[in-house]
Amino acid sequence: MFGSLDISTSALVAQRTRLNVIASNLANQHTVFDAEGNYSPYRRKFAVFAAGDPANGNDAGVHVRDIMEDDAPFRKIQVGVGNPLADKDGFMEVPNIDPMTEMVNALEATRAYEANITAAEATKSMMNSALRLLA
Amino acid sequence: MADPLGLISNIGATNPALMPKTQQTSGEASGPSFKQVLMQNIEQVNQLQQDAEKAIEDLATGRRDDVSSVMIAKEKADMAFKMLLQVRNKLMDAYSEIKDVRV
Amino acid sequence: MIEGLFNTGSLPVLERMVQFTSQRHKLLVNDIANVSTPGFVPTDVDPRKFQAVLAAAIDQRRQTQGGIYNGTIHPTDTEQMRFTDDTVQLAPSNSNDNILFHDGNNRSLESIMKDLAENTMAHNAGIEMIRNQMNLMDMAIRERV
Repeated sequence: MFGSLDISTSALVAQRTRLNVIASNLANQHTVFDAEGNYSPYRRKFAVFAAGDPANGNDAGVHVRDIMEDDAPFRKIQVGVGNPLADKDGFMEVPNIDPMTEMVNALEATRAYEANITAAEATKSMMNSALRLLA
Repeated sequence: MADPLGLISNIGATNPALMPKTQQTSGEASGPSFKQVLMQNIEQVNQLQQDAEKAIEDLATGRRDDVSSVMIAKEKADMAFKMLLQVRNKLMDAYSEIKDVRV
Repeated sequence: MIEGLFNTGSLPVLERMVQFTSQRHKLLVNDIANVSTPGFVPTDVDPRKFQAVLAAAIDQRRQTQGGIYNGTIHPTDTEQMRFTDDTVQLAPSNSNDNILFHDGNNRSLESIMKDLAENTMAHNAGIEMIRNQMNLMDMAIRERV
């Protein structure tokens, strides 16, 4: 009786993780320094899903297998040679994050989240109606 | 009100004023006997129940897809069954009463 | 006598239907959970095939019982459904007739949600009908309406 909502829950967790990664990308669109203060532009991250739920030992469900960094090249913007961060041609590397792409991904994650909520409600309704058999 | 089991017209003549004019007064039964009427009604209830069960089976196997008429048929069968059950209870009570009459 | 109590009428069919919808529910929930997983192919069983197997079992019962609607039904196994004493085991197949998205997943969210809704409604309807039958028998046993 206790395992029936695990599949939907694993999906909710995975989609929320994905949404967190997208939020992190959006927040760091213009970040060029890392935590120690070195010049290291933020690399876009994305969540990789895989079927199965190892946290609960289930074959069904989904989990985030990895949060990988996108190794597309950085965007270069022109800042002029006088800027201390610019290279010899006056270009500076900034993160290659497109807000439109991130927003579309966020919408899709939200949609999948809602679909899984509906599935969990359906599971609950079926169990409730089975309980009413005895009432 | 209609008299589905024909009980009032066929058992005793406790109040001749209430009996329909067409009924005989000699005391012999010329209509169907009580037993026949009862058996007919039991047969009807049985038939209704079986029709409702068949309708449910057809719904579950995909041969019918009108859920509401199946539900209505089941409801009618159940109502007929409950009616028969109550009639049976009243008959049993009446029999107990008669049995307890001290001769 | 006690056996005969639970083989009457539509009870065997409704039990099998409820077992099938429970098992299919797990498949559909897994499909919904994996709606964003790359390379995942949604699996499902066709409820119409299940209904056909059930219809064949019902026809067989009607023939052998001569019109009296009692007795257990014996559905035949198919390659997707295996009928055991108290449940149906499903071996789902991939649904391959949807658009293939760029991540290798060919789910169609709308049809999966529709299947989920239908399955849930059929399950709840079956349970209600079983409850109704049991209530009727309870009434007859108790001799109280």
